[in-house]
Amino acid sequence: MNEAEPIVYIIDDDPLIRGGIQSLVKSIGLRAVTFGSASEFLAAKRPDVASCLVLDVRMPGQSGLDLHRQLVEANVHTPVIFITGHGDIPMSVQAMKQGASEFLTKPVRGQDLLDAVQTAIVHDREFRKDWIELESMRSRFDSLTPREVEVLNLVVAGLLNKQIADELGTSELTIKTHRAHVMEKTKAESLAHLVRMAERLKARAHRQG
Amino acid sequence: MPDYRANTSRTLRAGLRYAIAVAIVATALVLSLILQVPFGNPSWFFFPAAIVAATWFAGVGPGWLAVFLSTLAVQFFFIPPFRTWILRPRDIPFFTSFAVCAIVANRLVAWRNRTEDSLLQARDQLEAKVAERTSELEKANEALQGAQAELARIARITMVGELAASISHEVNQPLAAVVANADACVAWLALEDPDLSEVRAAADRAVQGATRASEVIARIRSLINKGSPQRMPVALNEVIEETVDLIKGQATRNKVSIATVLDSKLPPVLGDKIQLQQVILNLMTNAIEAMTVVEDRSRDLEIRSEATSAAQVRISVRDTGIGMDPQLLPQLFEPFFTTRAHGIGMGLPISRSIIEAHSGRLWVESVVNKGSTFHFTLPVEDGATV
Repeated sequence: MNEAEPIVYIIDDDPLIRGGIQSLVKSIGLRAVTFGSASEFLAAKRPDVASCLVLDVRMPGQSGLDLHRQLVEANVHTPVIFITGHGDIPMSVQAMKQGASEFLTKPVRGQDLLDAVQTAIVHDREFRKDWIELESMRSRFDSLTPREVEVLNLVVAGLLNKQIADELGTSELTIKTHRAHVMEKTKAESLAHLVRMAERLKARAHRQG
Repeated sequence: MPDYRANTSRTLRAGLRYAIAVAIVATALVLSLILQVPFGNPSWFFFPAAIVAATWFAGVGPGWLAVFLSTLAVQFFFIPPFRTWILRPRDIPFFTSFAVCAIVANRLVAWRNRTEDSLLQARDQLEAKVAERTSELEKANEALQGAQAELARIARITMVGELAASISHEVNQPLAAVVANADACVAWLALEDPDLSEVRAAADRAVQGATRASEVIARIRSLINKGSPQRMPVALNEVIEETVDLIKGQATRNKVSIATVLDSKLPPVLGDKIQLQQVILNLMTNAIEAMTVVEDRSRDLEIRSEATSAAQVRISVRDTGIGMDPQLLPQLFEPFFTTRAHGIGMGLPISRSIIEAHSGRLWVESVVNKGSTFHFTLPVEDGATV
């Protein structure tokens, strides 16, 4: 099987349910890996591919909600589909607040589960693409010298070369050179592109900060 | 207005007391004057007695009046020169000592009366306090009994609720497995070239799940049937009397009177005494609860036993409660059906299954706003009466 293929992780203490869901997921051609408990899942090595979690809320030991919280805290953004025995409203509210992507009640209709799994995989794939893009963007921006960062900030703020030169106490020609370096290093195709990238990075730093 | 009247009567009573004091002193004077003729002067001894009597019966103020009048009378009638207000110097010590005696007598009696009064008052206060504490205690006792009953009821409901939750979880879990695996089977079979080993594995797991669900049900059933009912001769009249004793407190609290009409020649039945008692207790509890809102008629609970034939006895529990809508009667014996705000709806289904397990029948007759009567019949213990 191709390593880049998405994986569905199924965590349920009941082997029959685990097996059923795994078989169901496999029937639509997705890889499915099962675990009997949260700790087994945490101990396992997980390949770096798009994935989602199908998680039983009520499990002996660490509950599904606990595991989810732990993943959120560790900045793991894998989408989680919860499955619960009863329509436990407070529990589902908590799960949704934590950012669960879906909450299904047992017995789950096969099609509902598959739909949820596919939606979650698509989301994760997009998220990962986004993330990889951002990462490369960030490494490009990280390669700028401090002086270039200063110039970048003023350019993004909308200042003209002459104004930047005045601001930094240097000649317009020097600024032009710096600016060319910035465009080159960040692989910006235009000023507008540069501004967009800078904004995205700033927004992300903000979110994580 | 009432104050004024109270004042008037107090004034009248005071006047009467002073009049009594005057009368006592007057009597002493008359007696002294009469006895003075044969016995001479010492007959003034009546006056201290009069002072004591006046203070004793009429109180402190009239006592002082008696002292005053007696002193005047002694001076006027019994200190020479008689029948004049003249007091010779040599008679002053006598007059003074008489006056002192009179005052001392008055004071002593007044002091004694006061002591008695405060004693009486203390006793009254004590009695009032005892009565107050007793009623507080009674109230606390009632509250305690109510709380205990409520607690028992809540414990029962909680237990049943937890049982239901755990049963539904235990059954739901394997059912969820059945559904997931059946869905997987269908999904695989829908493919053009289905992986039959997957289909078989999923079908296998579905079977296992279904088996597990039925095992859970079997386990619950065996739990309920645990300790299969004993079959012993049971004297139902005794059971009824014991149950009435058990429920008396509850009946009294709810102002329900219980009457028993027991057939003294009731033959014994064959069965489990504890279970039958549970049925009777349940029917009586229901009867009492059906009457708690009744205010316009007396709350009567009648339990009757009778032999309806040589082979059958019948027990009836009749109440004068709210009764039931005839449309509701068919559902009455279904689990979880209840007309009460806090009922759980398990009492009657359990009662009916107990009676039916004893080869008997349980049914109800009910009229809205008149009351209900629950009857059950049981077969007489045959041959064992030997």
